[in-house]
Amino acid sequence: MKLKEVDRTAMQAWSPAQNHPIYLATGTSAQQLDATFSTNASLEIFELDLSDPSLDMKSCATFSSSHRYHKLIWGPYKMDSKGDVSGVLIAGGENGNIILYDPSKIIAGDKEVVIAQNDKHTGPVRALDVNIFQTNLVASGANESEIYIWDLNNFATPMTPGAKTQPPEDISCIAWNRQVQHILASASPSGRATVWDLRKNEPIIKVSDHSNRMHCSGLAWHPDVATQMVLASEDDRLPVIQMWDLRFASSPLRVLENHARGILAIAWSMADPELLLSCGKDAKILCSNPNTGEVLYELPTNTQWCFDIQWCPRNPAVLSAASFDGRISVYSIMGGSTDGLRQKQVDKLSSSFGNLDPFGTGQPLPPLQIPQQTAQHSIVLPLKKPPKWIRRPVGASFSFGGKLVTFENVRMPSHQGAEQQQQQHHVFISQVVTEKEFLSRSDQLQQAVQSQGFINYCQKKIDASQTEFEKNVWSFLKVNFEDDSRGKYLELLGYRKEDLGKKHIKEEKEESEFLPSSGGTFNISVSGDIDGLITQALLTGNFESAVDLCLHDNRMADAIILAIAGGQELLARTQKKYFAKSQSKITRLITAVVMKNWKEIVESCDLKNWREALAAVLTYAKPDEFSALCDLLGTRLENEGDSLLQTQACLCYICAGNVEKLVACWTKAQDGSHPLSLQDLIEKVVILRKAVQLTQAMDTSTVGVLLAAKMSQYANLLAAQGSIAAALAFLPDNTNQPNIMQLRDRLCRAQGEPVAGHESPKIPYEKQQLPKGRPGPVAGHHQMPRVQTQQYYPHGENPPPPGFIMHGNVNPNAAGQLPTSPGHMHTQVPPYPQPQRPQNGWNDPPALNRVPKKKKMPENFMPPVPITSPIMNPLGDPQSQMLQQQPSAPVPLSSQSSFPQPHLPGGQPFHGVQQPLGQTGMPPSFSKPNIEGAPGAPIGNTFQHVQSLPTKKITKKPIPDEHLILKTTFEDLIQRCLSSATDPQTKRKLDDASKRLEFLYDKLREQTLSPTITSGLHNIARSIETRNYSEGLTMHTHIVSTSNFSETSAFMPVLKVVLTQANKLGV
Amino acid sequence: MVSVINTVDTSHEDMIHDAQMDYYGTRLATCSSDRSVKIFDVRNGGQILIADLRGHEGPVWQVAWAHPMYGNILASCSYDRKVIIWREENGTWEKSHEHAGHDSSVNSVCWAPHDYGLILACGSSDGAISLLTYTGEGQWEVKKINNAHTIGCNAVSWAPAVVPGSLIDHPSGQKPNYIKRFASGGCDNLIKLEEEDGQWKEEQKLEAHSDWVRDVAWAPSIGLPTSTIASCSQDGRVFIWTCDDASSNTWSPKLLHKFNDVVWHVSWSITANILAVSGGDNKVTLWKESVDGQWVCISDVNKGQGSVSASVTEGQQNEQ
Repeated sequence: MKLKEVDRTAMQAWSPAQNHPIYLATGTSAQQLDATFSTNASLEIFELDLSDPSLDMKSCATFSSSHRYHKLIWGPYKMDSKGDVSGVLIAGGENGNIILYDPSKIIAGDKEVVIAQNDKHTGPVRALDVNIFQTNLVASGANESEIYIWDLNNFATPMTPGAKTQPPEDISCIAWNRQVQHILASASPSGRATVWDLRKNEPIIKVSDHSNRMHCSGLAWHPDVATQMVLASEDDRLPVIQMWDLRFASSPLRVLENHARGILAIAWSMADPELLLSCGKDAKILCSNPNTGEVLYELPTNTQWCFDIQWCPRNPAVLSAASFDGRISVYSIMGGSTDGLRQKQVDKLSSSFGNLDPFGTGQPLPPLQIPQQTAQHSIVLPLKKPPKWIRRPVGASFSFGGKLVTFENVRMPSHQGAEQQQQQHHVFISQVVTEKEFLSRSDQLQQAVQSQGFINYCQKKIDASQTEFEKNVWSFLKVNFEDDSRGKYLELLGYRKEDLGKKHIKEEKEESEFLPSSGGTFNISVSGDIDGLITQALLTGNFESAVDLCLHDNRMADAIILAIAGGQELLARTQKKYFAKSQSKITRLITAVVMKNWKEIVESCDLKNWREALAAVLTYAKPDEFSALCDLLGTRLENEGDSLLQTQACLCYICAGNVEKLVACWTKAQDGSHPLSLQDLIEKVVILRKAVQLTQAMDTSTVGVLLAAKMSQYANLLAAQGSIAAALAFLPDNTNQPNIMQLRDRLCRAQGEPVAGHESPKIPYEKQQLPKGRPGPVAGHHQMPRVQTQQYYPHGENPPPPGFIMHGNVNPNAAGQLPTSPGHMHTQVPPYPQPQRPQNGWNDPPALNRVPKKKKMPENFMPPVPITSPIMNPLGDPQSQMLQQQPSAPVPLSSQSSFPQPHLPGGQPFHGVQQPLGQTGMPPSFSKPNIEGAPGAPIGNTFQHVQSLPTKKITKKPIPDEHLILKTTFEDLIQRCLSSATDPQTKRKLDDASKRLEFLYDKLREQTLSPTITSGLHNIARSIETRNYSEGLTMHTHIVSTSNFSETSAFMPVLKVVLTQANKLGV
Repeated sequence: MVSVINTVDTSHEDMIHDAQMDYYGTRLATCSSDRSVKIFDVRNGGQILIADLRGHEGPVWQVAWAHPMYGNILASCSYDRKVIIWREENGTWEKSHEHAGHDSSVNSVCWAPHDYGLILACGSSDGAISLLTYTGEGQWEVKKINNAHTIGCNAVSWAPAVVPGSLIDHPSGQKPNYIKRFASGGCDNLIKLEEEDGQWKEEQKLEAHSDWVRDVAWAPSIGLPTSTIASCSQDGRVFIWTCDDASSNTWSPKLLHKFNDVVWHVSWSITANILAVSGGDNKVTLWKESVDGQWVCISDVNKGQGSVSASVTEGQQNEQ
């Protein structure tokens, strides 16, 4: 494909490979006679700018010369890598002169551009070449067998390579060997080529065939093989290129006969030894493989002869050709479309006035063709074989899991093709591990979690802490796992209970010594003074008046003492009045203590006293408000405090067990981008979550957005270090965030576990537990099998015999675990076959049957509901007790499953069994699994759904009537969404949401939600009624932003999902 | 440490030009001058040849896996001017589509982020870049950017789909307004950033290399607002280009290193913190940015093996 053209009849020289940008120098050809018969000559330099799509070449400089040239070369002599233009232009003139030009000066527009000049040669200098090893050495050839070697450092006195060859002849070509620096070859039109050894200063070999028809117009050494060279002949009777190997100099190794008429010039690519350019009097430019003789490419040229052809040294795909029609064209051999290139107008003009005999040589020109049509075929195909320089020999690419895929092709000299076949083509897959410390710390964390050795772990961390703050944080975390955590917190804050107690006791003792003896008598005065009045009031039992009188007289102690006797109400009032009057520093503290108004302390204490505030909360706050208060304090520290206090907020959040806020606070303070600082955070978070899980018996499976982001970032880092299993273990479960679900899927598959269906967010089981005939894509949801068990009874059909269903492929894990006798199922069968989680999957929700080890907060714990049916359920029945103490609810499920329908009493609502989950809109609740045939099953209890809550409660209170509307509204909405949702992913989401809303219903049952939240929820419900979901979402946002995170986190995100879906589906 | 966990004997009969793992890292696709594309199952250190795909009539330069949400799809490009999209159907790999819209060697193929759909960018020696978009039912729509790089485009690499700076997911149902962008490098020594705004147009020209740009690699997004591109060239230089402010769209280059030979390939780790550089001297090196912003070579990988110098990591640790 033609890239550029210049209208000159000129010799050409590309700038050396080191030069950037690429220049092309042209010097008026000595053979040229243009239409004006002008004898002017010039040296010009053009820049090859490939980003310019036009055909024009940018002219950089023109120097008017008194010489015309037979040969022009551009050597890299004294070139520094930085300079834009450098090296030296060496020109061979008409009268035996060699002129050295400084190209940088030409470009600069300097007048003095000639470095040196020497006219030692006889006749025109047609041959020039620069030694590529010693760029100061230039060889030149002229008439009379003259060959000189010029040292550019000492230009005045040239050397000769040896005695002149006889008979004297013109030297048409000269070339330095490409491998051995002291070897030079010359050739003449007579057809002889001579190889010189400069060390021996004599010709070492003469190459010539015996046809006497080789008129050498071109000579080139093999770029790689030192002993091989090609000779081109311009004789029309023998238009060939001969390839010689000096080791077998008797005849050519190969003869390329691709031209129909004499060859005028050749050029061997330095970038690919399989590419040899040749142009001839047949007006062709060919690119052939001299090693095989095959023509790889024919340039789509014009119809003119080219007398000079050059590869661009820097850009191996580019070549230039000078033609007798007065034009230098720059081509690419990579083919391509010329559609985008605009044709030059002058093109057509000059070809219309074609020069018939521009050189006056009498040589016939090929017949002039009709002026070229611009509608030339626009698509130019590339070389038949790919050039060496586009064959990528090496590559290294990263892939998932910190793997690096590398391959390398050992360079083999091309002539050893046979051996190359033997080469093995290997690809290496390597594991790259760069963060060793990060991995080992992650490993320690995992071990601590698996072995439950939290205290040890925290202790180690405390010992290793480098800063006080770090130490504090770990100390606080450690306390979570110890008995009397609150006391220990206090100690950490600097308040030792025992110390205080001792102090106090001491003081008491001292005081008691000074107590007046109580043995004496006393006088009851009823005088009119204040004492008398009080006495009167007391005597009449009028405590209120007595207290008032005391207060009035500022006898506070008396007032309080009396108020205590006067009962709670009076005491309270008295306290209030006291506080109103009292002004002491600690009054507010006392007020708070007495009034149990901790919020006041936390909200209004000076932040410098945050430790004291936290201590007070730790000492006094009730379990149910404890977290919220710590939270509040933390929030204040974070929002109002200086940078030091802000970090201290972390401690409050640790006390509060508020993982999400800890993450937020920590992230703000630290640079989380480095693996180790992320590790710092994750260690704390993981330990805190464990603590919360153990101490507060809370379900920590729900993960906040920020934490989820951090955890997945962490998992990504682990994965990038090749720790796929660890990454899986840390990745939050039970989240709907698509990026996390995708990462989980990717990790599972990377481990080599096949997963059915790409989008499945959860991986059901470990591979080894998967039966071969595993059901299809549904298995992608780990909760599905259990649900399906209930669906398994076809509606209205005879259910299969008890026990049978479990052996189906629905729940493969159940097989073998279940006794076949249905009578025993509810007593002996484990609650429900648990899908075996991976051992290290400790991030999952706590297993159903695990009782939290320590329950510091029995307040959270619902006592068992009294047994309401003693007749069916004798109190002493060990079975029923066992059942009731089962920490998880699944037993009824499995027992139900095993009861065929006919056993059920008519009219019992049993929709959980009969209807597929998708239509109930909520998990089958088994609201009244009144199973008369099952002695031992409690009657009238409401069983919560198995998979939604892996909790410890057995029974549930009914939802208060006024809130029942919430449940029905939300469930109805989910139903509507489900019926209009089409894709399975949305359905799964909705199913999941329906289950998770149980959290909300539970809170409603327990009436633990604050009135603002419930009223907000009612607002949402109303907006759902009116189908105004965006309003609902706004209210949602309002609730979330104003409420306590830990109170709403279990259900608000799910509610949002439902609302968003409803909005999207437009139900 | 860089340690070989699997040596796959590909049995290719000529030079290998590319080797890429799929999304999960369980399958390896290779291509070679022997005109074939091969797929291996390399799980658990094994190497099971799954497919030996024949269809190209010239050396195959690159292979690219599509995101698995579209199925098992592999694209390959060749000197024969063709792009072939292969697809696994019922366990068998077959040619699914052939794109013959280029006039010269197709040197690079790269799938767009999956969020955009199934879109393949192909860079060719004819200077053009074509974009194939799957429109369903076996149909591919072709858009072509002509004269993207004079005498040839050597590499294409898509920008990640994540809107810079958004660490947290968008609420479901609301599709973020992505701008499709990719980088390309070519024989005009330029890196160009193309952007689709109704139609594809050149949005930026990055100039620093003094010779052919051999490869460009847009770094995966890790949630930071900075965009990063690595480029390598015939001139031996590797540059890291960063754009901190998406609105001003100014890119500044930083020289990672100047090698003594052509640099063929650059590849980012998934977490975008390590760059693998493959050079013409058959050397593979791994580079990491130190805390003071300097790029440091942390490993020399030879035949898949190498140690990792801890200097960078330690340096960072001391900083903390």
